[in-house]
Amino acid sequence: MNGHLGGEVVPMANKPVTWSRFRYPQSLIRFGIYLGILLFVSYSLDYLNIPLERFFPMFGRLWSSIFSRYYPPDIAYALDKAYLAYVFETIQMAYVGTLVGVLVSIPLAWCASYNVTPNRRIGYPIARFIIMASRSVHEMIWGILFVIILGYGMFPGVLALTLFTIGFAGKLFSEQVEAINIGPVEAIRSTGATPIQVMVYAVLPQVKVAWTGISIYAWDSAFRAATVLGYFGAGGMGWYLKLTVETLDNLRVSAIVLSIITLVIVSEVLSAWARKKIGAK
Amino acid sequence: MNQSGIESKLERVIAQRKRSKTIRYAFYIILLILVLYSIRITVIEDTDWARIGGVGTVARALGRFLPPDLSVVKYLWGPTVETFMIASLGTMIAIILSLPVIWLGAHNITPFFPVTYPIGRALMTLSRSVNEIVWALIFVAVVGLGAFPGILAIGMRSVGFVAKTTAEAIEDVSTRPIEAIKAVGGNRLQVIRYAIIPQILPIFISIAIFQWDINIRRATILGLVGAGGLGLTMARQMLMYNYEGVTTVILTMLVLVGIGEVVSYYVRRAVI
Repeated sequence: MNGHLGGEVVPMANKPVTWSRFRYPQSLIRFGIYLGILLFVSYSLDYLNIPLERFFPMFGRLWSSIFSRYYPPDIAYALDKAYLAYVFETIQMAYVGTLVGVLVSIPLAWCASYNVTPNRRIGYPIARFIIMASRSVHEMIWGILFVIILGYGMFPGVLALTLFTIGFAGKLFSEQVEAINIGPVEAIRSTGATPIQVMVYAVLPQVKVAWTGISIYAWDSAFRAATVLGYFGAGGMGWYLKLTVETLDNLRVSAIVLSIITLVIVSEVLSAWARKKIGAK
Repeated sequence: MNQSGIESKLERVIAQRKRSKTIRYAFYIILLILVLYSIRITVIEDTDWARIGGVGTVARALGRFLPPDLSVVKYLWGPTVETFMIASLGTMIAIILSLPVIWLGAHNITPFFPVTYPIGRALMTLSRSVNEIVWALIFVAVVGLGAFPGILAIGMRSVGFVAKTTAEAIEDVSTRPIEAIKAVGGNRLQVIRYAIIPQILPIFISIAIFQWDINIRRATILGLVGAGGLGLTMARQMLMYNYEGVTTVILTMLVLVGIGEVVSYYVRRAVI
């Protein structure tokens, strides 16, 4: 093929130049990622013995089987006085757990923030480790552990929720502190203040609003966890869930699940309203 | 301002500071009373103190968990891989299922605002309100035991968070590319594909990886209700009252979650 370039005849390439968004090596990386995901999914389906061809016709029956078993829900059971007492217990458990957890998280987050921690060599890693460890263990596991040690009741549930809140709020608190403006901190430090005074006068005013929003969010999350903690004996309405599931009392199971959903929606609306009111995002 | 005017203003400021300080201290004291009172109600009155015994009994109970039983480790490789797979496949299902929910739940791309936007938002809230254990109970009752109900449960639970955050990101998107694509004659689908998706894709991927990390944590406990993975091993150790084995399983869970966090941190940094 000959092309005309500036009046002269010049030989051009045989293939027309095409545009593609990713050239080598990005295209190879993208292809490799997609291939890797596909291989992983097929290997997992084989490893976990999931016979997908058996399940596809089942999906049609899935909804009818759910519907026939779980409908109509036994609403009268969910409005029972004894059950409502456990619901109130759940709310109390979540409240105490969040309160104590947030109170403990405040100094813990202060030590776990790299820019204002009082002791970078020892205090900072220890505080970070406590927050990470509390966060990595699921709150149900904390609940089971404390039930084994302390027996049934609200106390293990409160402890489990406290540790959950420490992990949840501690991480978010320390992220807020690490994002503050360092100017006031340096100013207060230059007047010769102790680290606690630096914290109170320079850090707290900047993070107060965000921290309050995070505390409300933590209460909401702790309440969601508290509704099911009772399944393992740690107090609250989850205990009734366990009773009805294990006796295959499916209509009551659906009533309890509906009550859980209602309460969580109410708590989410409340917490969203409260967070908007104090101005945090 | 003359001298006495400055002095009176200073006195007013000092008095106001003292008042707000008193109010603040009163607030702290009320908070302390509230904390102590609620601890009294929930913890002290409800607990079976006779069964707990003294500090010595609690210390002995804690001592039953140590030292970790290392003979359990050889049974742990399979369940660990299974937990990892449950979390990963569950996250993938959540990503796929969240696409229609995002489309319905973002008020600038939803097709018919008064009807589909509330539906989208309700689906997101429903998914997030129901704890993963309740989802797992529902699916185990319907599809049987094993890893499959766990995957479905994790998928259904994660859809809410992914959809909510991505929908909020779509609502915050810059309108200029949207207008540009519309100006060259793109229809609704092309606007979504060329104007909106490139803007939110890094956020979406970052959120997906964040949920993958959290889902590893959630997948570890699904076995306690029959949905496979490390939770099943832990339940077995508890049934045998082998509490040292329980410690080993929990340590394995910590390691798995830790690996997931490290991986997700680096991958999220590479994406954003």
